[in-house]
Amino acid sequence: MAEPLLLLLMVGVFAALALGFKLPLGPSLALAALAGALLGGHGLALRHLVEGAFGFFDIILIIAAAMIFMKSIQASGLLDGLIAAVLRAFHRRPAALLWTMMALAMLPGMITGSSLAAVLSTGPLIAPVLIKLGLRPARAAAFVASGAVLGMIAPPVNILVMILGAGVDMPYVGLTAPLLLIVLPLALIIPLVLGLGRIRSVADGEVAGLLPAFDARPYGVRIYLPLGLVLVLLVLQNIPGTGFAAMGLPAVFLLGSLTAAFCGRKFSFLRTSREAISDAMPILAILAGVGMFIQIMTLTGGRGWAVLAFLSLPPALLYAGIAVGMPLFGGVSAFGSASVLGVPFLLALSGSNALITAAALSAIVAIGDFMPPAAMAARFSAQIAGEKSLSRVLRALAGPALLILAAGLAVLWLAPVLDKVL
Amino acid sequence: MSSAKTDKRGKRRASSPLFGLVIILALLATAGFFAARDFLSMRAEEPIRPSAGLTSIRPLSSYFPALAGTPGDTDVYVFKGREEGGRVLILGGTHPNEPAGYVSAVVLIENLRVDRGTIFIIPRANRSGFTHSDPQEASPQRYAIETPSGRRFFRLGSRVTNPVHQWPDPTIYVNPGGQALAGIEARNLNRAYPGRPRGNLTERVAFGVMELIRRERIGLGLDLHESAPEYPVINALVFNEAAADLAATAQMSLQDQGLDFRLEASPPNLRGLSHREWGEAAGIKAVLIETPNASHGRLKGRPSASLVVDGRDKFYVRAAGLGRLYVPFGPEGIPLRDRVARHLAGVAALLAGLADLEPENAVGISGLPDPDGIRAGGVGAFLRRPPGGRP
Repeated sequence: MAEPLLLLLMVGVFAALALGFKLPLGPSLALAALAGALLGGHGLALRHLVEGAFGFFDIILIIAAAMIFMKSIQASGLLDGLIAAVLRAFHRRPAALLWTMMALAMLPGMITGSSLAAVLSTGPLIAPVLIKLGLRPARAAAFVASGAVLGMIAPPVNILVMILGAGVDMPYVGLTAPLLLIVLPLALIIPLVLGLGRIRSVADGEVAGLLPAFDARPYGVRIYLPLGLVLVLLVLQNIPGTGFAAMGLPAVFLLGSLTAAFCGRKFSFLRTSREAISDAMPILAILAGVGMFIQIMTLTGGRGWAVLAFLSLPPALLYAGIAVGMPLFGGVSAFGSASVLGVPFLLALSGSNALITAAALSAIVAIGDFMPPAAMAARFSAQIAGEKSLSRVLRALAGPALLILAAGLAVLWLAPVLDKVL
Repeated sequence: MSSAKTDKRGKRRASSPLFGLVIILALLATAGFFAARDFLSMRAEEPIRPSAGLTSIRPLSSYFPALAGTPGDTDVYVFKGREEGGRVLILGGTHPNEPAGYVSAVVLIENLRVDRGTIFIIPRANRSGFTHSDPQEASPQRYAIETPSGRRFFRLGSRVTNPVHQWPDPTIYVNPGGQALAGIEARNLNRAYPGRPRGNLTERVAFGVMELIRRERIGLGLDLHESAPEYPVINALVFNEAAADLAATAQMSLQDQGLDFRLEASPPNLRGLSHREWGEAAGIKAVLIETPNASHGRLKGRPSASLVVDGRDKFYVRAAGLGRLYVPFGPEGIPLRDRVARHLAGVAALLAGLADLEPENAVGISGLPDPDGIRAGGVGAFLRRPPGGRP
């Protein structure tokens, strides 16, 4: 059977199971992968299904640990304390609040290069504040997701560029200016697009009514220790010679969670962890399913066919291919898209400055974190904001996604000019 | 055993959730068992049958004892001539998913005789990388090479160290050269030089190689690799400053044989690679040889053992037509025998160049298969049969 037909059948099986039979996305992806293996003449392909599922093993552990952290700081009262502090400081200045919140949303992504770490570390603080000031949960979720993705693109750490660079032996130096050129305008505009006019200024007398019921002030600074510890460990991880690099993000989040158990309101760590894993299970299953799907897609030649199809586009349509293909594949995995599609696109654009091109491609591929089926940043932001409908969050993200895409394409197109300026 | 129970009216009731869970767990356990068996089978090393010219085999840990007993310890094959001369190190299997580098090192070990000087060969430089496959690449675990006495199987491993042996990856990896890289590169041996004695396993292997270079007073180091056909550094000799004249001399000699090799200077700001750090840390000449391998490219069609050995891929033929590749790629593909022939021709040309440029450091060898012979007779013709005659 021809490769594109096999790929189409796999997508068809997935759509039938997920949309027709309303099966959860994770099992639907796994069964579609199994169907692909059988139709491709590879039998059950157990080795490939298991190996593919392990492709996202580290990310699965990070998500599980980060979810426990998030639930722990909610239970300890840390979040309530921070929300109250931010509301007291900014309740009368909406624009300043939006920009401050955006900086906070971006910070963990800038340090770790991971939008997921950003959503799950400072996201739980930002979303409730915005909702209390009048933003709908879907928009608050879109705000958190946008900030996390902008942080992922922003310097000093952009893993997507590192992946692109590894494919062409380009060192990770000289990226600060092109990345800031893309991110700074977006970081100023997107908060206003999402929030200005929708969040209200609150008078001093009214603010007490918005504060969380739990008062964290009696616990003093120690209640904030878990978040401080996580942020410090995230920074230390990237400093060579400190010995913290080997810790890994799961250990960082688990240490933060354990600290939370001793620094605030008392809670059952075991029950909180169980709830966290239960909440995270659907996305963990999606990631395992996505891993299986990619492995079988590669095994049956579908991946190679897809990459070649994009590279076969005439030069005039190459930018369209980049704009559509990279975010679409990013819906499976932004890091995977950077490696599989990004590197060939970077090579196809080898006439332009590689640093500027890689920076622009990283912005475009990062939008993949908004895209289904995984939609990592969007899905977890929705969870944090208490928004049940992912599609509502995705609609709210359309504007930021188009802005990021436009900025990426503009920098890509203007690369020859920017090469002389930067 | 039935999953359903029958009520008083004889109708079957739905299976209990517990029974369903047991069935799912049993299925998962069965899948896990067979997958684990496949996974563990990668730890069985294929035999290497050294030529009569072999002087000794010693572990890399004899140069850096901290590696002893770890999955990073690997065999060093030593071929010492009767006369004193130059001292050369050859690495295969730095990236175990680049089969021509590994097979070329094996062919060298199984055929080489050294009359003058000493050659040290490490065929499985990242031994841990041979014990697993890259997730989502769907690569075959093994490929077979036909020999006169039957098939010999070789493992196709991963570009990086097995995460079972080195885990977790950092978010960002800052290598010993100070270069910031994506976290997975912490397991890439060719980003870990000059190594760290108390670093991660991959860095310790790199440090062990550096210790060998220093203690054995190596003058020339060769690292055998492959790259995807869409990658610009291909069919190339990548050299450091100290090896510039040598690489140019070898390139001319290879051109005379009808073998086109590009010359690529090692970028000074690309740190952690053998062709940069061997020279920086130990002052030796360093050359990395690249040949084209469709089986680890992003444009490949269905991964298979045949793709590894025959090197034929219809998508790469189309990509060549679109001008997306850096090597010609026709329907005949680029088979393993051609790639091994290129590697061995490169090694021979570099050794000959060394003898021309520095006669006092010349290394005299014999038994090296002729590239035309490999192309005509296949790699298998130059792999030794076991003492009993069975493959």
